[in-house]
Amino acid sequence: MKTKCTSEIFEILRRGRFICSNSPDDQIRMLYNVLEEGETFNELQKYFHHINYHLEHGNEYFYFTRLESNSNLDRKLNKAFGWIDLLDFLKTFDPSFDIGFRFSPSEITNQLKNNADLKNKLDNLKRIGVDKKNYSERVKKVIEQLVKDDFVALENEMNETYKVLTSFNYLKELVTAINIPEEVENEMPE
Amino acid sequence: MHIQSFHDIKELLTALKREDKLLYEMFGKRKSLEFKLSYARELVDYDETRIDYLIEKSVLRKNGGLLEIDDLYLQFFEQVLEVNEEINLASIDGNVKSIQENIVYFLNENNEHRKQEYLREIKRTFRKIGIVTIRSVIDLRRKVDNTFKNEPNFKNKQLKLKHLDEKRVMIKKLSGQALELINDNQPVFFKTSQDEELKRVITELKIQLNESSHNLIEIEKQVINYLNQIRQQGLFLEKLRKLKYLKDHFTIEAETDIKQHLSKNNPLIFERRQSEPLNLSLDFIVNEERAFDAIKKVAAKFKARIHTIPQLAESIATDFLDNNVEQEIMINLEEVRNHFLATGDNLFRFIANYNFNKEVSFEERVTVYCQLISLYDREFEIAGEYENLNGVEYAMVYPK
Repeated sequence: MKTKCTSEIFEILRRGRFICSNSPDDQIRMLYNVLEEGETFNELQKYFHHINYHLEHGNEYFYFTRLESNSNLDRKLNKAFGWIDLLDFLKTFDPSFDIGFRFSPSEITNQLKNNADLKNKLDNLKRIGVDKKNYSERVKKVIEQLVKDDFVALENEMNETYKVLTSFNYLKELVTAINIPEEVENEMPE
Repeated sequence: MHIQSFHDIKELLTALKREDKLLYEMFGKRKSLEFKLSYARELVDYDETRIDYLIEKSVLRKNGGLLEIDDLYLQFFEQVLEVNEEINLASIDGNVKSIQENIVYFLNENNEHRKQEYLREIKRTFRKIGIVTIRSVIDLRRKVDNTFKNEPNFKNKQLKLKHLDEKRVMIKKLSGQALELINDNQPVFFKTSQDEELKRVITELKIQLNESSHNLIEIEKQVINYLNQIRQQGLFLEKLRKLKYLKDHFTIEAETDIKQHLSKNNPLIFERRQSEPLNLSLDFIVNEERAFDAIKKVAAKFKARIHTIPQLAESIATDFLDNNVEQEIMINLEEVRNHFLATGDNLFRFIANYNFNKEVSFEERVTVYCQLISLYDREFEIAGEYENLNGVEYAMVYPK
């Protein structure tokens, strides 16, 4: 084995998390660098393949896929729908919400005051934080969800700044990959 | 309204100095579009004539209930403090023209003194071109960055960046014109001039223009990069909105290939996060010091979690523990009977006179009499005679 980090890498990836090149966590960045080395990557890919995990190299991030799925299509669809709502919400908050973007919960909460569209979208995020009464709590829940899915990470605890990770590319690629037939596109309102 | 200007620089400076508090506040809030007259009054100690004076001298302008600094002064402050937002290219253009004019005057003039004046003007203008160009480039760079990062409106961001790029082209063209002027347009003037200072000024200008042109190339790259990013973001946003629309109308599954796409591969991110219910290795638990530490830790926690405080009863009061004997003398009916059987007396009189070792009332003695008869009637002989004592009629009873 070329690397001593195999188990560490495995532990992160098997939870459905990402190893991102711009993580604020030094350890994860180190793991990214380890994985980025072509030989190590190939070796680990082969190694994990034996236990039915496929190591994938995305755009600036690594993740696991499985040959046989443990989650059915409905679950996947639900999750994807949730992401579409979330992305829509985040892009309404700031169209430049993208990799490397930094934000704090209070910025979102502040914008809720004068952006009815954003507020409406937050209200429609059905599955996240509905039990919470005030908006700042709900926004926190939304961010918690993003952190849990490993698309953003807390960068600065003092001023509660979060950073968008390279795994956000996964979401973007997913959206880009879905094909809308032209005739359907033409029927949609602007 | 008649507009008065200041008579001299001294008057101007005194006026500005006197209202420095007001001007400082107004300058600080120049972007907010709203500076209320009432607030301004506070800053001049409610002496409105002071505001009126500045308005008269057109340092300030009144607009309804609002007050603002006149453009002339605002621009002056901004430019001197290097915080101007607008990039004014007209001044470069004007400066180039002014040099050309002054060169012509210089060449035409024979009076040495006036010639020197023109030359001085030319040098001054050259210096200005250098400074303004460099300043414009710096402003442009900052503005490009700010626009990309801070402009919230998507379409405007794109438009503004395009316009800034046009400005970049303009600056490039103007600095080209300045160089052309030096190198080609007035060969006679520049070749024949013996003025050392002019040569120095021109060298410096060339260095500044060179630096600017390097910066402009960088800015161009930056703008292209930003525009590309915006375009991609725009495309992505459009796609996202469309998917959202389809999703919200419940047609996304039917109309797009999302299902096929999702079934294509199985990233673990879609799966529920599972904890592994693995059992501990027995060898590990038994042999490892580490395991023992862990067990101790868990045990401590476990104890802490279940608070088995034994339920203690309250202490017993000491008087409960003292011997507390209560004595009562009971009448032993058997003994009374034995005594009675030994006598020849009748039962009633016997009981009425019997010494019970305690005080027994007549009524009680009557009760004892009845109890004895009912208990031992077989040992007694109940005669058919009756006697009377204390109003109680009783049967004569004798031992058998």
